[in-house]
Amino acid sequence: MNKTILFLVMGAAVMSLPSCNGMFGWIYDHPSATVDFGFINMDKATGKGTVYIDATSYTKWTYIDFQSATIDTTVLAADGSEEGEVLSWDLAIHRYDTKTNGGTVMETGFDGLDALAASGKLPDGEWVPDTWTDSTVMVDVSGMMDGNIVYAPSFYNAELSKWLDVDTSTMPPIYTLSGKVYILKTSDGRMAAIRLSNYMNESKVKGFMTLDYIYPLQLK
Amino acid sequence: MRKTFLISLLLLSVLPSFAQKRVMVSGTVTDSEGLPLEGVTIVVKNDKTVYALTASGGAYSIEAPEDAVLVFQLLGYLSCEVALESRKDYGRTDVVMEEDLMNLEAVVVTGTRTPRLLKDSPILTRVITSADIKRVDALDVGDLLEAELPGIEFSYAMDQQVTLNMQGFGGNSVLFLVDGERIAGETLDNIDYSRLNLDNVERVEIIKGAASSLYGSNAVGGVVNIITSGATEPWSVNVNARYGAHNERRYGGSAGFVAGKFNSMTNVQYTAVDSYKMKNEGDYNAFYGGFNYSVKERLQYEPVEGLKFTARAGYFFRERDMQADTKDRYRDFSGGLKGEWDINDENRVELSYSYDQYDKSDYLLFNDSDVRDYSNVQHVLRGIYTYSFFPGGHTLIVGGDYMRDYLMSYQFEGNGHYIQHTADVFTQIECNLDDRWHLTGGLRFDYFSQKKLSHFSPKLSLMYRIGGWSFRGSYSGGFRAPTLKEMYMSFDMAGIFMIYGNPDLAPESSENLSLSAEYSWKYLNVSLSGFYNWVDNRITTVWNDALGGMQYMNMSPLQVRGLDFSVSTRLPFGLGARLSYTYTDEAIRAGEPLLSQTRPHSATLKVEYGKSWKNYGFNIALSGRVLSAVTTDVYTSATDYEDTETVTYPGYTIWKLVFSQDIWRGIDLNVIVDNLFNYVPDYYYSSSPATTGITAAVGLSVDIEKFFKKY
Repeated sequence: MNKTILFLVMGAAVMSLPSCNGMFGWIYDHPSATVDFGFINMDKATGKGTVYIDATSYTKWTYIDFQSATIDTTVLAADGSEEGEVLSWDLAIHRYDTKTNGGTVMETGFDGLDALAASGKLPDGEWVPDTWTDSTVMVDVSGMMDGNIVYAPSFYNAELSKWLDVDTSTMPPIYTLSGKVYILKTSDGRMAAIRLSNYMNESKVKGFMTLDYIYPLQLK
Repeated sequence: MRKTFLISLLLLSVLPSFAQKRVMVSGTVTDSEGLPLEGVTIVVKNDKTVYALTASGGAYSIEAPEDAVLVFQLLGYLSCEVALESRKDYGRTDVVMEEDLMNLEAVVVTGTRTPRLLKDSPILTRVITSADIKRVDALDVGDLLEAELPGIEFSYAMDQQVTLNMQGFGGNSVLFLVDGERIAGETLDNIDYSRLNLDNVERVEIIKGAASSLYGSNAVGGVVNIITSGATEPWSVNVNARYGAHNERRYGGSAGFVAGKFNSMTNVQYTAVDSYKMKNEGDYNAFYGGFNYSVKERLQYEPVEGLKFTARAGYFFRERDMQADTKDRYRDFSGGLKGEWDINDENRVELSYSYDQYDKSDYLLFNDSDVRDYSNVQHVLRGIYTYSFFPGGHTLIVGGDYMRDYLMSYQFEGNGHYIQHTADVFTQIECNLDDRWHLTGGLRFDYFSQKKLSHFSPKLSLMYRIGGWSFRGSYSGGFRAPTLKEMYMSFDMAGIFMIYGNPDLAPESSENLSLSAEYSWKYLNVSLSGFYNWVDNRITTVWNDALGGMQYMNMSPLQVRGLDFSVSTRLPFGLGARLSYTYTDEAIRAGEPLLSQTRPHSATLKVEYGKSWKNYGFNIALSGRVLSAVTTDVYTSATDYEDTETVTYPGYTIWKLVFSQDIWRGIDLNVIVDNLFNYVPDYYYSSSPATTGITAAVGLSVDIEKFFKKY
């Protein structure tokens, strides 16, 4: 009889099942539900700021204008044409690709914006303009499984695009940030120091780009 | 205390009525070297009520009927029977027991869900003991299975996730159990094998072929059951460490006690390895390092004899360094309660509840956040009733399980979740038709709530034993129900294509026929078995033009057939050897979305020699794996199944030398040379081992309680 009672006690213990859908959910972080895009941080005194954009779409260019601290987007077609109006811009981003508005870019040896600012002078280096390409800006990857990727013809700045290396020799690809500071010189001579600090959002979705910058950059 | 051991006569009761003449029998029990054996159980055959134990000098004394047959039993030794009638002077009966070198009297449970001696198991079972684990210096279950069994290959799937091929069956078609419990969570159809470390493993039992009549879904190609151990000493503390190439380090410890009605065992283990580059180009060019740790506790309480409760809890954590800015994290929380009640000699009841939660998360360094994107939570309730027929020795089992399966995944729309309830009932009868013929029949019915899917799994097996020979033949059914992932996936593969689930999938099923002959002798075991599997509705992803993506679909029938051969020996002077070979032919029709990549021939070999003295012992083991090349067709396109090209994945052999020394009182020192002949793949296929050539490692284990033990 005693054994029967003991055995039933165990059955009762089973009734105190832990939460059906799991335990310890609180040990994890939860991504923010609302997210701001655009110029999300600006310090007018130092010129430092952060731009956060959603560049996940293969058919979207995001245009950044440092002067007005605004962003605009266009819809990109396979023939390279874009739908949407952009009044003024310095830099544009499509996935991890970049282009400038007739400007040039130099990769510096600096790993941080503050270090560049503290150096007090413009580093030496090569200013690289955009080039025309029809095999870089991917607009349709649905045929990738068959080796059919559709590229849109476009200008492309190879120097600034070094900010993120995507090694596709393994699956999934390996992403490596250069961590370097790049200097963009616009066609009218203004300068911005730019560093890509992240390429994904809080849920690890790639294509959300976080750019830290100093604008205007007043080094000589 | 010692005095009480001089003659420890434990007479529980004496059968009353029979007017047989009873005699007093006494003597000593020694091993083959003449050393006395303490703790040997002496019973009267077919009478469980009388027994005695040998004292420290090996002496015993028992009162038994004059025509009785005495059975002497001790773990690790071959039992022996002595018929009193055959002895002139039965008053003085000395017995010599031989070591059970071939583990013939190891107890196995997986084949029939009831404890059976290995030599008596109606299902051909391969057992890997804790001594074997130590001798091959296995780090985890994958390492161990590859070292001990041919036809098992762990390789890499996408994202360097580990994937199993066991003679044509993948990770989701081989059921892995720990103490009979399922394991939650999967990545690319494989459980997290690194969870299955070997720090408190007593033995691993492997049965090949379908076993769904006892275990339900996933037991299509075989079952691997890891049996953990409890404490055996009044108290025990072990600490151990191992250091090897690529800064691979393992630190572990355990603490156990047996106190009155309680038995507790706690294990902790930490393992870490650095990332390293491969020596040549390949499908992968670096190994991603990381670390993991686990904590396990198992507490048993036996309030009265025959009634036992077991509570267990465990935590596992793994982190993998794949990207510079992200780390993959894997966690598991598990626990369980089990009650086992041997009501009397005939009736036994077992009730259990088991909980397993496997989570995956991404640790993002840029904002120091740990975001969970996968959680599989399984609650399982089980009841098993066993009835043993006396006389006759037949056994009947009736049981059932209920499982609640919760799955939240980044592969579902909006990181959503699905829940499925699973219920089953099963029965099995084992009949000893006579001394030689043994019949086992079983049937199980499984029900899955999501699609109201149900499945029957039958089993029928026959064993014929004569002398040291056992001949076994069986037919068994296996199946695998479509998982929640396979039914409801909606996953954007890096913006390139989608992978869709399919709620209308049929379960995978297999019909397994096997025939085997086994010869067992105290120093030798030889077995040969042939198997044939008809596998229908295997589930895989197929390109779907209309959807513009991949979708889970059922394949047409395929066949897996082959032969297993194994010969092993262990001789009293310390020499042991094992050769196992397997031939597998996986026949898949051309045009099916998945083509065979199973190597036709593979073998494992092991030669070892060991000797021990009072304060020192050693064992040196050389083990090797030989895998043949496989030439197979692969599709040139991922979206249609017409054009193929022939690819040959090269064969290879890899050897390991383990020199173990028992230095003094529980101090064990292992020196390991892995990849002894410096095999380096010219090209690292995903099925090539992640080796950079010959490496060395050293391991140290200390059993602290042995310092205090009197010898």
